Amino acid sequence: MSDPSEALASAKAAADRIVNVKRLNACLTPIKELRKSLAAQASTAHPSGVLYGMPVAVKDNICTLEFTTSCGSKILEGYRSPYDATAAAKLKAAGALIAGKTNCDEFGMGSSTEHSAYGRTLHPFDKTRVPGGSSGGSAALVAAGAVPAALGSETGGSVRQPASLCGVVGIKPTYGRVSRYGLVAFGSSLDQIGVLGRSVHDAARVLSVISGRDPKDSTCEDRDSLRLPNVPESLQGFVIGVPKEYFPQDLDAAVRRACDRAIRLLRELGAAVREVSLPHTAYAVATYYIIAPAEASSNLARYDGARYGPRFNGSEDVRALYRTTRGDGFGPEVRRRVLVGTYVLSSGYYDAYYRKAQQMRALIAQDFRNVFDRGVDLLFTPTTPTPAFKAGEKLNDPVAMYLSDIFTVTANIAGLPAISVPIGRIKGLPIGGQLIGQAFLEDEMLEAAYALERAVPAAEEA
Amino acid sequence: MSVTHDEVRRIARLAELDVSDEVLPLLGEQMSRILEYVAQINAVPASEGVKPFVPGPDAVRFRADEVKPWPLAFGPAEFAPAFRDGFFLVPKLGQFEDADT
Amino acid sequence: MAGAWETVIGLETHVQLRTVSKMFCGCSAAFGAPPNTNVCPVCLGLPGALPVPNEHALQLAVRAALGLGCTVHPRSVFARKNYFYPDLPKGYQISQFEQPLATAGSLSYLSPDRGIATATIQRLHVEEDAGKSLHDRFPKQTAIDLNRCGVPLIEIVTGPDFRSPHEARTYLLTLKQVLEYAAISDCDMEKGSLRVDANVSVRRVGETMLGTKTEVKNINSFAYVEKALTVERDRQIAVLEGGGTLAPQTMLYDSKTNGVRPQRSKEESHDYRYFPDPDLPPLVLTEQFIAEQQTLLPELPAKKRERFVEKYALSVTDAAVLTADRNVADYYEAVVHAGADAKTAANWVMTEVLADAKDHADGLRVAAGALANLIGLVRGGTLSHQAAKRVFAEVAERGGEPRNVAEALGLVQVADTGVLSGWVSDVLGAHTSEVMRYKQGETKLLQFFVGQVMKASRGKADPKLAQRVLEEKLAP
Ligand SMILES: [Mg+2]
Ligand SMILES: [Zn+2]
Repeated sequence: MSDPSEALASAKAAADRIVNVKRLNACLTPIKELRKSLAAQASTAHPSGVLYGMPVAVKDNICTLEFTTSCGSKILEGYRSPYDATAAAKLKAAGALIAGKTNCDEFGMGSSTEHSAYGRTLHPFDKTRVPGGSSGGSAALVAAGAVPAALGSETGGSVRQPASLCGVVGIKPTYGRVSRYGLVAFGSSLDQIGVLGRSVHDAARVLSVISGRDPKDSTCEDRDSLRLPNVPESLQGFVIGVPKEYFPQDLDAAVRRACDRAIRLLRELGAAVREVSLPHTAYAVATYYIIAPAEASSNLARYDGARYGPRFNGSEDVRALYRTTRGDGFGPEVRRRVLVGTYVLSSGYYDAYYRKAQQMRALIAQDFRNVFDRGVDLLFTPTTPTPAFKAGEKLNDPVAMYLSDIFTVTANIAGLPAISVPIGRIKGLPIGGQLIGQAFLEDEMLEAAYALERAVPAAEEA
Repeated sequence: MSVTHDEVRRIARLAELDVSDEVLPLLGEQMSRILEYVAQINAVPASEGVKPFVPGPDAVRFRADEVKPWPLAFGPAEFAPAFRDGFFLVPKLGQFEDADT
Repeated sequence: MAGAWETVIGLETHVQLRTVSKMFCGCSAAFGAPPNTNVCPVCLGLPGALPVPNEHALQLAVRAALGLGCTVHPRSVFARKNYFYPDLPKGYQISQFEQPLATAGSLSYLSPDRGIATATIQRLHVEEDAGKSLHDRFPKQTAIDLNRCGVPLIEIVTGPDFRSPHEARTYLLTLKQVLEYAAISDCDMEKGSLRVDANVSVRRVGETMLGTKTEVKNINSFAYVEKALTVERDRQIAVLEGGGTLAPQTMLYDSKTNGVRPQRSKEESHDYRYFPDPDLPPLVLTEQFIAEQQTLLPELPAKKRERFVEKYALSVTDAAVLTADRNVADYYEAVVHAGADAKTAANWVMTEVLADAKDHADGLRVAAGALANLIGLVRGGTLSHQAAKRVFAEVAERGGEPRNVAEALGLVQVADTGVLSGWVSDVLGAHTSEVMRYKQGETKLLQFFVGQVMKASRGKADPKLAQRVLEEKLAP
């Protein structure tokens, strides 16, 4: 596509499709504004860009000049960023159209998109269920066919987990592969922008565009953008490890069946499959729920009602302004995490929690290095322990909610790339399988994902 | 281990968050549960030999000392909740404190 | 009994580094711009913005550390210091905590009581400045200007090494001198580019344990350093002598009343929850980077002073005066290199040159070469010292070559024996009784005759030559 009239048609069609799935509450942008902006973007988009005319929805915690950036939070209601995130700028430079901002758990904190100040997002196949989170709006929009791809962000699995629950592809790149400039920080050492796509290819080509060096982000690696691999004929020569800790005794039987089928298919494609061990896996969620809240408590200190965002009463003095703005502006899950994070960093607790968690992080990262050093190229695991759960089911039990990230947090802790690919259905609900790759070897991971995607009957019951 | 209500209040003050008395018991309970859950990492003995893991580049890169601000599409007057004569405005500090810096 | 108390002071000095842009963003670090105009997403703390460190700031910080004899660590870590304040947009300051840039240095200074004393530099780290809160610009509102926010600073922390407010002040002036020498900072307290907080305690003489310390803040000019510390020391002694106990608190100095009062603050405000900043990879400095900063470090005042004593045979006091300012020291050496005698040049620089510089903001107005020539004219007998001073003033004011100026002013000494003989004859003729006394053995009258010849010549006679002619004519 390189014809402006085609881009305009694409923009209009995307807007129509997004209107059609309005009931999901996946897109936060008012439809009139979306139509107007899409038309304007289509008429000015650069025709030679590799994503020319492609509508890409963007999670609400990624800054764009188009649309507000509220992070699913009341504290940033109506906030308009005066700059573009590097990922958004790269998308536009490649000719893509920003197709609205997608709903998410507030500041990315959640696994169900129920923790949004703008209402929960519905699962596209079953409105009583959650689409996963925190990038649930992006996953639902892609799964419903409204956009071919959407940007999400991950701190502990927020792209892969909703991808698994919604039956789409979700990629979390290596930490440092994509600039975080303009991604509203949650847990800076874990955060990474990821992509949800209806296919590996759609997700991968968007990832390729947004990846690469950025002088504005000190944690972004000085590397060229990701080059897309070809779809392989076979997986001959690939060694795929299956970590036993990700297949516990009590793993959901249907999830196990789906994984077994996927593993069989990987073997049939020529890969050598080996059981491996990542012994510190059991501590990953605990480690994550110290580091992420600690960083979040500091990252979210800036939302105080002083320089941007709305104010909530409290005009008598500045501390009152802070306390009411933050007390009323943050939802319960964010408040909980800010308090836990403040606690683990506070005097007297730092060593037992934060410092210890850093040591655990090193051990978990070392587990992966050990396995990869022994000739394993990739790991295969379930993405989530269950298919989509019911809305409200885990809302009052934070720890139960946290455990839905059990298979995804490790890649964030170790900074590794990972992808979730649909591998079947369980009573009609999608389930994903995960490939975890080595740092900056997304191309190998994508090759295996291409092959798996082709081979697996994703729409069939496992 | 359990987080007392006083501790929740102290932490809430540090975090500048209003916590109402109604939510305090539930919040204390949830924080306790979370902190008990994460404390399980202390079951693993301290690991002296493992070198710390920092994701991303091994060394920070520098920026040249040039006046080249990352651009703002529009200025603070357009996003600030209170702005006058070029200044951000906030309510005065409480009578219980002075500038810290 | 005041003599029974010993004062113990440690200083924490914040120094703004001389960069054109801020520490973590490309905004201008210049002073005095209209409010909130030198700002960007990074220093405004907008959602999603990230810091990128300024290379020159780190070069200057390393130079400062080396200049203070610190160990510069090849790997240090940026950390976040978390607290809420309206001029701190991110809710934390990027600083360094557990692993600072440099540790274990020292700075020698001339203590007014103890001679050469050495202050230990416990640590030197890099951080960003906060913005400015204006509390009296609008009623009921605090106005925030974030232009300063993110300006690069180093913090230099000494041990509890000073034994009097005067010592603390002397250290601070010595530190300022070093930082100015190496062009690390402007050290202008009035503009906030140097700020100092002091930890003060007192104890009975002979006691080895430290007493309860307070932190004195808000000392915003060099003139107040000694005053503020004295006031706090006296307050502490008074409390203790009255049988009271001291609270470890922060005291704010008020220069208007020359008093201190405790800072009012929230009890939790000191739990800063430091942790490594996850937005910034470790600060790794190569050996080459550090070595390069060493080579870019000029000779520092103490070293230069020693060298001046050694090389130019100057007194320690003279050397200290000449090395107090790097420009003056360089100027002095240039005068010597241009051929002037070291001692004479020192006298000229310490008197005429510094006096002129004091009255004129445009610095050292007589070029070093010109001063060397002027000194040469005196030495060669062309000008008297008095005449040379007039020439100096003229050159400073209007420029020109000293010899030409001297000629134009008619100040060149007459060394023609014929002309001189005339003046000598006139003088001897007019003072016959003195001539008599001289011939009777009162030879010290020779200087009187020389003076009379100088007077008769209106200062143009070469005094040495005049003396010789006089001696000849008075010879028996
Ligand atoms: Mg400091
Ligand atoms: Zn800036």
